[in-house]
Order: sequence, then C-alpha cells, then structure tokens
Amino acid sequence: MSHLHFLKPELLWLLPLALLPLLSHGVKQFSYPSLADWPKDLASLNVRWAIRLLAALVIFSLVIAAAAPFTEGGTESRVGLGAEIVVVLDRSGSMSEGLKGRDYNRQSAEAGESDTHFLSKIEAARAVLLKFMQQRPADTFGMVVFNASPISVAPLSSDRALAEAALLSAQSQSTGFTALGRALALALDHFEDRPYTASRLILLVSDGDAVIEGEDQEVLKQAFIRQRAQLMWIYVRGEREQSILDTVIAGDNEIITAQDTAYATQQQTASMHQVFSQLGMPYQAFEVDSEQGLNNAIQAVSNATNKPTRYEYRLPRKHYAHYFYGIAIVLMGLLFWIKQQEIVVWQPSSFSKSR
Amino acid sequence: MKQQWIDYRIQWKPTGHQSGAMRGLSAGIGDHLRALALLRDYPDPRRLDLRASLRDPFERLFVRDTYLNTALKLIVLVDATASMGYVGAVNRWQVAQEIAAQLALSAYRSGDAFGLYVANQALIREGTLPPRLNRSAWLWIQQHLHRVKPQGNRMDGLIKVTSQLPRKRSLVFLVSDFRWSESDTNMMFKKLNHHDVIPIVLEDPFEVSQAPKQGMAILQDAETGQSKFVWMRAGLIQSLQNKRLQHTQMLHQLSRRYGYKPFLVHGSFNPMALTHYFMERQT
Repeated sequence: MSHLHFLKPELLWLLPLALLPLLSHGVKQFSYPSLADWPKDLASLNVRWAIRLLAALVIFSLVIAAAAPFTEGGTESRVGLGAEIVVVLDRSGSMSEGLKGRDYNRQSAEAGESDTHFLSKIEAARAVLLKFMQQRPADTFGMVVFNASPISVAPLSSDRALAEAALLSAQSQSTGFTALGRALALALDHFEDRPYTASRLILLVSDGDAVIEGEDQEVLKQAFIRQRAQLMWIYVRGEREQSILDTVIAGDNEIITAQDTAYATQQQTASMHQVFSQLGMPYQAFEVDSEQGLNNAIQAVSNATNKPTRYEYRLPRKHYAHYFYGIAIVLMGLLFWIKQQEIVVWQPSSFSKSR
Repeated sequence: MKQQWIDYRIQWKPTGHQSGAMRGLSAGIGDHLRALALLRDYPDPRRLDLRASLRDPFERLFVRDTYLNTALKLIVLVDATASMGYVGAVNRWQVAQEIAAQLALSAYRSGDAFGLYVANQALIREGTLPPRLNRSAWLWIQQHLHRVKPQGNRMDGLIKVTSQLPRKRSLVFLVSDFRWSESDTNMMFKKLNHHDVIPIVLEDPFEVSQAPKQGMAILQDAETGQSKFVWMRAGLIQSLQNKRLQHTQMLHQLSRRYGYKPFLVHGSFNPMALTHYFMERQT
C-alpha cells in the first residue's frame, strides 16, 4: 500500500474550516428567563456535540474530496495464464507442396478428383494451427504471414475470429524470395507497448531456411530479448528439404543457382537454427515431416506455453474523492434532516406541527 | 387598559389617621362601634345614641365612638431583573406594568396611598413613586414604566428598598417571576415580614407548560447570558415540569412560613382573579 497523495494539496489549507461548527452554533437561539434550574440533560449535550462533529465532518470530507486524494496503484505480481502467440506463417510457394509422404497424386488433387492422399504443407499447418487455436481459449493470437514481404494480417488481440479468419485466408504464393527476418521483426512488433502479462511466443511455421543478414541478426536478437519472447520453429519438412539440424542452408527456392548458393553461404555463416539458438531466449525447433508430427509439435508448443507466467502488473491509481463526496452527501442529508428538527419559533408544538 | 379595579381586602386593621376604606384602629368617623362615650366628653350630637341614652337610668346622654375608616398604604415592588423582560406568550414586563397600573387605580378608588418601587441590583429611580394618594399614578405607570428596561441578574436592590418602605404595616405586592435562589427569596420575605405581602408570581405558558414538545434550539439565559443547547423531548419536558413544580412548592412553603399566599399569574393578568384571591384569602 503506497502513501496517500493529493492532486491539489494546496486545498488542504482549507481544512481549518472544519473547526467552524465548533465556534458557531448555527442553531436558532431563543431568550429564556432563567436556565438556573434547567434540568441536567446529558442527551442534549451529546446531541449538540454530535451535530457539531457531523458538521465538521461534512466540511472535512468536502475539503478532502476537493483536494482529490489518491494512492499510487503500485505493482502487483500476477500469474498470467495462457500465452500471447504470434503465428508467423510462411506462405511461400514451397508451402503448397505436399507434406512428406502425402505429396503424390497432386495433379488429381488439383483437378479436384481426389484429395485423399495429397496434403500440402500449408493446408496441414492451417488445419493443425486452427485446432490449436480452438483448444486454447485463454491465449491471445496474432498472425503474420510472409513470403516476399511480411503482412500483419491479425494484430495481437483477443478477437479470435479475426485470427482464425486470417489463418484460413493464408494461401501460399511463390514470389521467389522469403523475408523471414522482416517477418520475425514484424511479429515482435506486435508485442510492443503491451504489458508483459503472459508468456510470449513466436510460432514460426515455415518449411525452409532463409537468409538473415548479419546486422539483422543482431537487431532480431535485441528485439527478442527486449520483448522477452520465446521462439518456436515448426519446420514443416517436405520431400526435398534437408533437415535443419544438419544443413547449412535449406532454401525454399525451387531453383537454386550456383550464385545464390554462394551468396547465401557468404552472408549466412551459421544456419538459422544456430542463429536462433544464440538468441538468449528459450528456443525450440520441431522438425515435422508428417501431419502426425505437426500435431506432436503443436502439442509440445502448448505444453511449453502452459506454464504460468509471473509478471509485475502496474495497478492504476486509486482515487478516493468520490468516497469523500459520498460521505459528505450522506452527512449533509443527515444535517438537513436535523435542521428540519430545529425549533423555528419557541411556541407550543401544535403550531410547529401545523406549519 | 381595561379599567377593572381590584377589590382588595385585608384581615388586619391598619393604623394611621388618614381616612380611607379599611377598618382601622384609631378612633374617628367610621362604621364600626368602638365605645359609647358621654356627650359631655365627646360633644358631637350627630352621633347621639338614643337607644343607649334612653336605657341609662341616670338619664345621661351617650354618643357613639367609632373606629376610623382608615386609609391603607399599598406598595407595589416590581422586580426588574433581566428575566422580567422575557417575551413569551405575553410580554412579562407589560404584565407587570398592567398589574401595577390596575393596583394604582384600585388604590385611588379606595382612597389608599399608592407607592411603586422598581429595582434590580439597585433601586431604579425612573420607576419609583413614593407612597401617597395619587390620582394619576396608573396613567403615569402606563406612560413611564415601559421606559425601564429589565436587566441584570441580581435583586439586591429589592432587598435594600424594603428599608425605604413605610414603617407601619402596609399591603405590599411583590411582582416578580421569583427566579431567585431560595435564600434570596427567604431574605426578601423576611425583610417584608411586618407587611401584608402578596407575592405575585408571573409565569409564561411558553416557559414550561406549552414549550415545544420536540425539536432543537439554543436557549439563552436572559440573566446570565449563558447559552444552552436543548433537545426538546417528552422526557426533558417532564423533568422540566418537575423542576418548576419543585420551585413552586419551595415558593409556597417559604410563603407559608411568613403567612403569605402567592398569587400566580399564568400568562396575562386578570384583575378579577386577584379579587377572587382576596375573597378566598383567610389569613
């Protein structure tokens, strides 16, 4: 509990006004021949002091209320359930290829004749991610899709329908270049200006490495540390890609020219996997080459993010003026009622009743 | 003022040689037979008692000797402490003024001397009339007594003024609200003991009996100026009435000790009631 502060502390100089009722009686005064043999009356004395106290309290609360007292909310350590997950979905051309083991009969599937066997990587990822979203109502989802340039299709919000629609609308399209670094940067931007209330996760669903240049690596690293986000990479492996765990580069470009390879090798000294491993934040990679594997990976993600997050929550200021105004109103009502009880004319009661 | 004089009566015989309406103690022209005397000693043939003269075997002539119908001295003492200025249902000072005026008028009608003394801690000169037959005293009272403003909270002047009263027994009306201490009242009664004293007790219905039954107010003591917050309610009124009853009883007991009987004026003054009081009075 922090200390009491006042928005307008200078008004507290008016507090001595609360002593006013102690000086002036404010009740109608009548002359009486002699009070020498007036009976001793403790009740009247008490009533008088009660009224004075009441009036003093009214002035006191009004002054205090005018000075607008508040306390700083302080911080509270809270346990956040669920996670904030930004799904970074690769929609490059290669994602439309069949999942390993499900990539035959593509022509008949594209002709609409049969889809029993063919399942593209993006379709599998979409289906599994949608299920994942539906299983985890406590999480907040955002969505970034990327191929040549990243697009923030759904901001990080509790609007689940928006995220799901964004997910469903993600279609793969080949543009020849994959902006992974910028996509991650955009995904990290989603956490900007948000209080850290839940574990943060960037769920990268992609089927291949891409080039992240050296300075971009550093920027990404800093951003990850600043946003305290975890990274999980679900590497959807097709028929032709190599395992990320042992390759230097696994481009999703269909035709890799010798120059490309040379350029990539020159720019990227370590593999994506190594880059991510050096982020300093928890990082996990799942290499998935089947629908079942995708499910397993998602299961692992949800296990990882189910851990409750302890975080410091800054509470808003608490204002107390309205309480004091309330007290003043109630007491003034009481005083008003008492004022009605005041004798206006020192006359028999039959007069005062009929007036 | 409605002229309605008070037929006061006394049970004692006033001394003095001023002729008036009361049965006195000195010889003179009157209604009451004092003795029979020889015409030789009182040569006044108008008062010849034929019956006694005829009955006398020595054929002497007797005349009647009667008591003089004597004039009385009627004194009105008015308390002028601040509580006498109280205005409730009636203006207390006006009531006192009216009582004095009615008594002045009645005294003149009976041929009695009328004296007025107004005092609080000292005698107030503007309110003083020496005791004498005064035809216009009641008018003077009406025109001048309201100039006297009751003030102060001590009645020493009233005690002192008793020494200025006539030495012979007089009829003294003591007009006050008797909000005095028991010792003061006792002292006052004691000083007036050789007079025939009628304490006229002024009360106001708004003081106690018709005081507001509920509500709150501040009462200011007219004499001391002290203020008191009062919350009127049934219990307080009850104890207030008890207190006043005790005070009245105290007054009656003190009066009885000196052979007086207080006359209560509750609200406005009714001269007929005072006449009734004299008819009922046995002492």
